[in-house]
Amino acid sequence: MVDLQSGHASNVQCVHLVDDDEALRDSLVWLTESQGFKVAAYDSAEAFLGAWSPDMAGCLVLDVRMPGMSGLELYERLTQLHSALPVIFITGHGDVPMAVSALKKGAVDFIEKPFNDKDMLRLIETCLSLDHEQREKRSHTAEIRRQLGQLTQREREVLDLIIAGKLNKQIADVLSISIKTVEVHRARVMEKMGARTLADLVQRVLSAGAG
Amino acid sequence: MARHGRTDDKRDSGHEGFFDMDRSTLLLVTRRAPSSREWLWYLPYMAVGLFALAMLALVWGLQKREIDLERNALARDVQWAEQTMRLHLQANQEFLVQLARDFAQGALTATQFQARIRQHVAGNPELSSVAWVDYDEKILWAAPFDTADWMSGERLNANQALGFINAREAARPTYGEPYVDDRGKKLLEIYVPLFDGRQHVGAMVGVYSIEGMLRHLVPTWFTEKYQLSMVIGEDKVLASSSAMRPMADAIAYVIPIEPIGHDLKLRTVGYRTTSQLSRLVPAVLIVGLSLVIVGSLWALRMHLRRRVQVEKERDRLFNLSLDILCIVGLDGTFRRINPAFERILGYPPDDLAGTPLLELVHPEDVTATVGHLRALSAGVPGTFENRVRAADGRYRWLAWSANPVPEERLIYAVAHDVTQRRANEEALRAETSFRKAMDESLVSGLRAIDMDGRIIYANAAFCRMTGFSQAELVGTAPPFPYWPPEDLDVCERNLALTLSGHIPSGGFETRVMRKDGERFHARFYVSPLIDSEGRQTGWMASVNDITEPRRARAALEASQERFIAVLDGLDAAVFVADANTDEVLFANRTFKAIYGFDVVRRSAEEVAPGLSPQRTQYAVDPRVLTADDLPRELFDGEVQNPLSGRWYHLRERATRWVDGRVVRMAIATDITDRKLIEEVNLQQQQRLQQTSRLITMGEMASSLAHELNQPLSAIANYNMGCVNRLQSGEYRVEDILAAMQKSSHQAERAGKIIRRVREFVRKSEPQRAPCRLAEIVEDAVGFAEIDARKAGVSITIDVPRELPPLFVDRIMVEQVVLNLVKNGIEAMQGFAADRRELDVEAHVADDRHVELSVSDRGHGLPADAGNKLFVPFYTTKTQGMGMGLNICRSIVEYHDGRLWAEDRPGGGSTFRLTLPIHLEE
Repeated sequence: MVDLQSGHASNVQCVHLVDDDEALRDSLVWLTESQGFKVAAYDSAEAFLGAWSPDMAGCLVLDVRMPGMSGLELYERLTQLHSALPVIFITGHGDVPMAVSALKKGAVDFIEKPFNDKDMLRLIETCLSLDHEQREKRSHTAEIRRQLGQLTQREREVLDLIIAGKLNKQIADVLSISIKTVEVHRARVMEKMGARTLADLVQRVLSAGAG
Repeated sequence: MARHGRTDDKRDSGHEGFFDMDRSTLLLVTRRAPSSREWLWYLPYMAVGLFALAMLALVWGLQKREIDLERNALARDVQWAEQTMRLHLQANQEFLVQLARDFAQGALTATQFQARIRQHVAGNPELSSVAWVDYDEKILWAAPFDTADWMSGERLNANQALGFINAREAARPTYGEPYVDDRGKKLLEIYVPLFDGRQHVGAMVGVYSIEGMLRHLVPTWFTEKYQLSMVIGEDKVLASSSAMRPMADAIAYVIPIEPIGHDLKLRTVGYRTTSQLSRLVPAVLIVGLSLVIVGSLWALRMHLRRRVQVEKERDRLFNLSLDILCIVGLDGTFRRINPAFERILGYPPDDLAGTPLLELVHPEDVTATVGHLRALSAGVPGTFENRVRAADGRYRWLAWSANPVPEERLIYAVAHDVTQRRANEEALRAETSFRKAMDESLVSGLRAIDMDGRIIYANAAFCRMTGFSQAELVGTAPPFPYWPPEDLDVCERNLALTLSGHIPSGGFETRVMRKDGERFHARFYVSPLIDSEGRQTGWMASVNDITEPRRARAALEASQERFIAVLDGLDAAVFVADANTDEVLFANRTFKAIYGFDVVRRSAEEVAPGLSPQRTQYAVDPRVLTADDLPRELFDGEVQNPLSGRWYHLRERATRWVDGRVVRMAIATDITDRKLIEEVNLQQQQRLQQTSRLITMGEMASSLAHELNQPLSAIANYNMGCVNRLQSGEYRVEDILAAMQKSSHQAERAGKIIRRVREFVRKSEPQRAPCRLAEIVEDAVGFAEIDARKAGVSITIDVPRELPPLFVDRIMVEQVVLNLVKNGIEAMQGFAADRRELDVEAHVADDRHVELSVSDRGHGLPADAGNKLFVPFYTTKTQGMGMGLNICRSIVEYHDGRLWAEDRPGGGSTFRLTLPIHLEE
């Protein structure tokens, strides 16, 4: 029933399906796989939570109304866990207001049963590309943060002053060290951060939100 | 009465007290019986006398024994002396015999004679001389020398011759009689006759000097100890060893000197070694000392007698004391108590010895008493009062004055019974406070004046009235300070009338001025003031402020008005009727408005027949109640007025009327409206239960939609999955087949759901029966009436009762009508009140159907509504679910009828439905 193996394949985008109704779940897997997406299906919110990991890639297709933990509750739980997985809600009749409130909380979209297969597939595609972008951005930022973490205390101080627009001489004055030393630090910072030019360095640091 | 009784009691107790005292005195007398006492007193005297006698006897005996001893010693000595003397005399006699014998033998010459005599006399000085006398009495020889009597050659004198002859006659040595010679010498001679054969030859004579005998024949110690005398006859003393005369009563011993004879005796008198005086000393001492003892005993007795006297006096005082006297140990226990204790507290004196004082003390006084006892134990004298329990259990107040004597570890205490004083004080205090309270609480002012018109007394109420203090009033002479200046002449006249005694018994009314200048009306009643001796000392006036009654009357009237206003303002009917006569005594405006304004004084049963419950419905028959049973609930229930048909909640109480009689007070509240509402609510509830089936159907439809979604979505997914794969060309036939099979499974699943619904619906098919439409409409409209009233909608029903009966499920049709009516009411919300009209009308449509229409003046049908109106979940209402009309149409169609809507000419909409007529076959 549950393809846990595919769910754990990290960094490969995967459509995670959570629905308590076996027929609907199975038919959705069938439909999604017909478009070449990798699919993992779960029969309950609890089962998905058990398989969830922070580096899960892809998107989540979630039935709102389920026995036990409802789709909405699962979504709130994921938000608390800082999951960036885009979510599509499947709603039945009368669940619309519930879905709207979920959207307001940041879910990507919702789709009402019975749904058009094209709509569903289009939504999945959108979500996967959104996920991809987010992940790209996150990994870039993480890289810069890692590089920043490699800097020594003194190099970090020098970097801060460079970003503040100070010249080598000024940096030497502020830190009470010789210009030669500043130049050495500066070269080392450029090397550690993998920046070729000053502009590149500043852009990298700022894009990572550090400064 | 009570006072009289108390005096009697007192007298009785007094008697008792005296009796007790007598008895105790008697006891005292018997206890100190004088006979035994006096006898005791003689005992020491007798003892002293006996002792003295015994001592004297002892001394006498001792002395007697001593004398006997002395006498024995004397006799022994004297015998010894006599023996010595005899031995000497015998020795001398033998010498003389020898001499005579020698002479006879002729062997003796004068010279020899002389020599031998001289030698012998030197050794025996008692022998003064020896002479030889021949037969013819002529002295031949005398040696050692011649003496006047014994001169050689001389003849014997007569005296000598007598001795010579006696010796010759006796033919043995014989002593002559002693004699005194011419020179005064006392002499004694021994004649030793000498015989030559039978021939008397002569005699040898030895002459003894009697003094010499006494001097030489006994030792010196003897003569020192005794006086030795030669006595002849009874008491003729020839010679004595000492000139000293012995005492008259000295012991004397007389013994005859055997060899001499001639009644010559040797007398010995002992010199007394102890004097008569010394012998008397012990006796004197004994007697003297005894006398001293007796004297001191006497003195002691005198002293004791005085002491006893004092003690008796003290005991008498102790016993006679009206106050409690007692001796208490430092531990607080009684050691000794006087009879007053029994008199006052009733405890026999012996019972209390050893009992702690605290056991008797009132529990509230124990703490204080312990404190006092502690102070007393510390040696501090003190006085205090406490309550002590008497034998009869009552408590008496005792004022104690106690003095501790630490060295004796005792406390001497006097207690005075102050119960009466306490009681008097209490009574006085009570009386004082009673009078004070009376004085304070008296509303009437009292003012007394003396015969001159001077104020001598004014009570608190009078002071309160006038605002002057007592000090300001008492002693003042007219004009009094409370006389208003403008009424001085009136007041003076009244005073004059008062003093002359001409005031009418009804008193007089006058104005009085307060200290602050305010005036008030007062009524004075005057009566003479008579002292204890019957003289009139003044006039007492009681003064009543009549301003207050006036104000009270006004206040009463005002409160009466308020009371009436409140009762008249009630929308409940209130009336009061006499419990016995049933006469209406009071009725409020509401009651009068219903039953007429002349109901008072008429019979309640008559004026309001429906407003009284039957007698049997009362909790108790009000006619038998007395004032003690009040107030009492009589009835609490609902009654219907048979005339008006209105319902009242009636509450009746039996209570006491202002004049004391027992009345029924009834409060009747019109509850017709409430009762109607209650009834309607009840009906509505019943109907709701009946229609729950229909509501379930609505819910059913809702869940049906959800249920069907699942298989339908799955089918679509499977199909589109297949389509996508087939289009892309990348597929496996078995996958497609499996998906298609699954898809058809889901289609079956959907079919099952539909079947389930149909089964349910079949079960709840209408239960049709013949019934009248008019009744159905009436019920449904009655149901909606509350909503209609709330919404201000007036409903017009035009459903003739003579319409043919229908063959329908009555409840379902009722629900449809109710639904339509409610929709109509809701549709008219927000429109002008005069437009809010709902018409329900029915008529026969054809020979099989009756047509019913419900028309409102609401917003009408939406333009595009058309067919959507009856589609499930279509609604124009904010709260609706959109199922109502849908179900309504289903129901109607079940009944082979039709339901449709159309715009009403002139605004609003009309819903029409047709229902089958019951065809009798």
